[in-house]
Order: sequence, then C-alpha cells, then structure tokens
Amino acid sequence: MINELLLQFAQYLEAQVYSQMLVSGYYSWNWLEATHVLTLMVSIGSLFIIDFRMLGWVLPDVSATAIADRLHKPMITGFVIMFITGILLVYAKPVENVQSLWFRIKMLLLVLAFINAWIFNSRMRAAEGSWDSARVAPKGLRRGAIISLCLWCGVVAMGRFIPYDWVDCPKVSNTAILWASGCVEQLNAL
Amino acid sequence: MPMSFLSNYKNVTALFLLLLAVALLEFFEVRESIYPGLLPYFEWLKYSSWIGYLGTTYGSVYATVQAGHLISMAVIGGTVLVTDLRLLGVLLKDIPSETISKGTHKCFKYSLVVAILTGIFCAAGVADKVYYMPVFWIKMLALLTGSGFMFFIKQPLLNSRPHNEINPWAIRLLAVASILIWFTVAATGRWIGFS
Repeated sequence: MINELLLQFAQYLEAQVYSQMLVSGYYSWNWLEATHVLTLMVSIGSLFIIDFRMLGWVLPDVSATAIADRLHKPMITGFVIMFITGILLVYAKPVENVQSLWFRIKMLLLVLAFINAWIFNSRMRAAEGSWDSARVAPKGLRRGAIISLCLWCGVVAMGRFIPYDWVDCPKVSNTAILWASGCVEQLNAL
Repeated sequence: MPMSFLSNYKNVTALFLLLLAVALLEFFEVRESIYPGLLPYFEWLKYSSWIGYLGTTYGSVYATVQAGHLISMAVIGGTVLVTDLRLLGVLLKDIPSETISKGTHKCFKYSLVVAILTGIFCAAGVADKVYYMPVFWIKMLALLTGSGFMFFIKQPLLNSRPHNEINPWAIRLLAVASILIWFTVAATGRWIGFS
C-alpha cells in the first residue's frame, strides 16, 4: 500500500515540467549534484571534526563544547544546502529514487543520524562543564560520536550506491528486496 | 644579502622553482612528449594490477572505496575549512590560531593518505578513461599543488613563529589560497564523474 502511494506520488512529480527540466539540462543536473557532494566538506567535514574532538583525535586541548558550538553554524549551513540540493535531486528523478533500495536505506540512516544527533546534543548540554577540558569526552558521548561517524559514513556510502543498478527492480527476484525497494510492478507480477 | 634572504625562505624558493620547472615543461611542450609514455602504466593499472582487477570485477567494492574517498575528502575539507576560516578570523576566534592549525594538521595528513590510496584504487578501475580526461590531469596538478603548498609553505610558515608576528595579509592570503586549491581538488574530482 505504502509503496503504491509513494510510486504514484513519484510519478506525479516526474510528470512535472520542472522535474524534466532539471534532469534533462546537462549543467543543471551536474551543478546540482556537484553542489550536493561538495557541500559534504562543510557539513560532514565540520560534523566529523566535532566527533573526532569527542574521541580526542583532534584539538584535544581545546574545550569540546567550544568546538561543537562554534562549528554548529557552518555545519547547519552545509546541511541546509545539502538538503535543498538533495530534495531537488530527488525531484529530478523521483521514480528512480523511490524505487531505489539504497535511497531508502539512506533516508533511514539519515533519520537515525538525526535522532542520534539530538540525543548527543542533549547529553552534551546536560554534562556541560564537568568534562569540557578533558582530552576525551565521557563514555556516553564517545559512543554517540562513534554512532554518528558510522551513520554518516553509511549515508555517504548509500548516496554513492544510488547510481549503481545492482538491485534495480528489473534485476531482482527476491520478494523481500522487491518490497524493500518498492518495486510495485514486479511485486504485482509475482 | 640575497643568499640570506633565500635561506630564510628555502621551502618557498624550492616550491617556486618546482612550479617554474613545471611551467617550462609545459612551455617547451616537454609534458606532451612525456604524456604518451604514461599510457602503458595506466593500461597496466587497469588490466594487470590487482586493484584494477578488484575495481573492474566487483562493482560493490569499487563503490565502497569511492565512498571512502568521498569521506576522506570531506574530512580534508573540514580540517582545511576550520583552520583557514580561523586564520581569516571567521570561526573559533576565541581559540588561538596556532592551536587550531597544529591540532588539525595530523587529521589532515591521515585523511590525505586515505584520499590518495582510495583515489589510486578509483583511478585504477577506470584508468583507460581517466588518462584521456583533461580534468583528471588538472586534479592531479591541483593535488600536487595543494600538498606542496600545505607541506612546504603553509605549515612551515605557520609553525615558524607566533601568528601575531606574521604579516596579517600573508596569513589571509595563505588561508584564501588554501581554500581555493582544495576546493579545486574536490571540484575537479567531482567533474571526473561527469566527463
């Protein structure tokens, strides 16, 4: 049911003129994708510096909350640009993305990464002052930093996998993968 | 007098002479005569080396290494931006720039090694294609320039004395040049995928 609804919505988007313009324009698509990928250096670059600081890998002599506070703005700016360009990339190829297993896993990892960031942030605020100048953050925050690193590495990897066609709907016969990818036509044909 | 001036700036002079040599190679078309000689190495990399075999046979391995390359580039970007924006007085203004530049350099070095290793793997899988792409060679030049700039100019200068004793304009120029060079490395890398 959910797969059918998603596919119908994607087909509705794909029929729009602006969606077709985005995907057919060589430069519009390339600029969009390049901006999306290059903004990684600002968003994930800043985020990883914060996580690395929690683990004591970079700037261990600098207050961890100062690093997290000061890098918050560039990180959020990077993420906002990534989300805008990401939404436009999906808008340009909605059917392909909605039926991509990698895209779906990426979205799931993104949600988990944001939940982790929220928990991490509230834990950091709660523990503020008690450990700030320590070279390594307390265990809970270190765990949060490692989870954050793993989730974001997963997000980047899934993003990289999307253009590959290993598990595209016509190539798959496994019912669970077909369902997880949202391959409505192939599931109906079974 | 000129000798003592040169000995004060021997790294800068060495890099300048290297860049001059590259420019002369270009000017006298020496590079163009060397260029065809590199093709067998690229063909070997794709068809005979084990990394070329892995990259061309297992798409999932290739894509995973590509993701590793992207992540290492993101970390390079993070360290470069944090350091250079601090040098420009935009970020982390309450923390000494000496602390920031020293504290992020190790991370930069490790990420650069990972980026180069994963980059070689990625290039090996499509070596016969990238050899003919001008943008690939521009990226290689930008990478060489960026690494040379970082290890022979930026770090030696920043480590030579307290930053408040260095001409502020020299520091600003250093930071802007560094951001531009590493942006070029990343952007040309992305453009390889479109070519």
